[in-house]
Amino acid sequence: MEIKTLRSKRKLTVADIFFRVFLWGYAFISLYPLIWMLFYSFKNNEEIFVSNPFGLPKVFRYENYINAWSQYDVPVYFLNSLLVATATVVITIVLSMMFAYATSRMRWRLKNFARTYVALGMFIPVQAVLIPVTRIVQDLGLTGSHWALIVPYTAFNLAFSTLVFYGFFVGLPIELEEASCIDGANIFQTFFYVIVPVVKPAIATLAIFTFLNSWNEFILANVLVMDQSLKTLPLGILFFQGQFTTDWGAMGATMVIASLPTVLVYTLFSNQVEKAITISGAVKG
Amino acid sequence: MKKFYGNKLAIAIFTLPTLILFSLIVFNPIVQVFYRSFYQWNGISAGTFIGFENYIRLFNDNLFYLSNKNGFIFASIITVFQISVATVLALAVSSVRIRGRNLFRVVYFIPVVLSVTVVCQLWLSIYNADTGLLNKFFELVGLDYRQNWLADRHQAIYAIALVNAWQWTGYQFALILAGIKSIPTSYYEAAQIDGATPFQAHIKITMPLLRETYKFCLLISITGGIKAFAEMFIMTGGGPGTSTHTLTYMMYSSAFRASEFGYGLASATVLVLQCLIVILVINRLFKTNNTVEGA
Repeated sequence: MEIKTLRSKRKLTVADIFFRVFLWGYAFISLYPLIWMLFYSFKNNEEIFVSNPFGLPKVFRYENYINAWSQYDVPVYFLNSLLVATATVVITIVLSMMFAYATSRMRWRLKNFARTYVALGMFIPVQAVLIPVTRIVQDLGLTGSHWALIVPYTAFNLAFSTLVFYGFFVGLPIELEEASCIDGANIFQTFFYVIVPVVKPAIATLAIFTFLNSWNEFILANVLVMDQSLKTLPLGILFFQGQFTTDWGAMGATMVIASLPTVLVYTLFSNQVEKAITISGAVKG
Repeated sequence: MKKFYGNKLAIAIFTLPTLILFSLIVFNPIVQVFYRSFYQWNGISAGTFIGFENYIRLFNDNLFYLSNKNGFIFASIITVFQISVATVLALAVSSVRIRGRNLFRVVYFIPVVLSVTVVCQLWLSIYNADTGLLNKFFELVGLDYRQNWLADRHQAIYAIALVNAWQWTGYQFALILAGIKSIPTSYYEAAQIDGATPFQAHIKITMPLLRETYKFCLLISITGGIKAFAEMFIMTGGGPGTSTHTLTYMMYSSAFRASEFGYGLASATVLVLQCLIVILVINRLFKTNNTVEGA
């Protein structure tokens, strides 16, 4: 859009044509596999393999969705994912907001040290600590409950969200607290009634970002969850790999069900998601 | 106000939950990774201190070199693919007068918000030798190019890397686009007055000003490549044979399959060090060399 002024006086140049072809071409590469998945979630094996692998289903077989939902454990996985992701979002935001407030605006020694210490988490890859984290979760007795995922997911999201909240808090005017203090509010009241409402945009951005992360998380879940009844959707899909070889339509339906919430959240809040990404770019670089 | 800001109880209530949780689940494990990598340990007993033996064994293990080679291939493919495609897309979206600009943005980004298991499962069916979309496509256009994409020892790692490249290009695209949007329009107007073509303007203005953005793009794609695990775990199980092992995969199978936790942690330590080195080197490159213009 910046270049609009540049090119408004020109005719369609070679570069423009190249750009257009590239835009449409990559849009096809990016989207067609997903459309193909959506199509085959409505087909039967015969159509997928033989008669109609590429196009729209001839008959929409909604029964694939009904089968996936009723014959396999899809509702269980779905609820587990929802519960784990929601709890992770709430706890991460509450903890990191309080921590960021104390390290940005309150006065105490070691506050910069504490802030840097937690920010180090940005550089600790979850892959590398898989083995000790598994043991700690066992030692804490979390195995066999949803906390086995909620606690580590929260811990690994803290670094990023404290950094984001810190960035927001640092720029607030001191008059906010002064006014509240003169009105006789204590620090807790001030925090919850004055400060939290001011950073609502940051809360929204982080909530969406953390939700997407936890809904899709696979590497930790893969080693922390053993019970069939506690599996989240990413694990459930993997578990089906063997079972579904005979029923591709239901497999496709399960994958669509697993993807719908995140795709929906993203399309509704695409600006928030992109904001979170840009912030993470600034923080890590 | 001083009493207000210095409230010890409030500070404790605000910071302790985060400090405890972070120390216990994130910081403590990374210390244990280093420390336990000097032990022979089956994960249950106390273990025996064996000095550098795990590392000596690691450096004599052919699988370690194969894993590093795969990490390097994976990182190179996703870095080159994602950054070049994302750059062209971001420039195109921001410069061509085209309807549905937001639609393109959403379409490129959607793969990013999918679970890695969905993406891998999807590509397993695309790569499938008998029934897969890719071979069917070659059949359709009359090319005799069908093959078993994931069953070939030499090819499998490339096929897997392309899946990651496909999924995360939209992420890099969003970063670069945000960078372009932050450049003031007046720079381009000045360039136009000086007679620059849009192409020249991008080379001389856009690229140099996106240094920070490109630094971050490189950081995530290179460290992402080194850490690669989920794709091989789901799509090939590290195979055929051991041909798609990476450092993380090696760690995983030593610990969770062979119960050699100490040995697994030695590869984890190497993994952390490699990531740190990449971060340091890239920061260094982008700091001292003023002529580096991004990718």
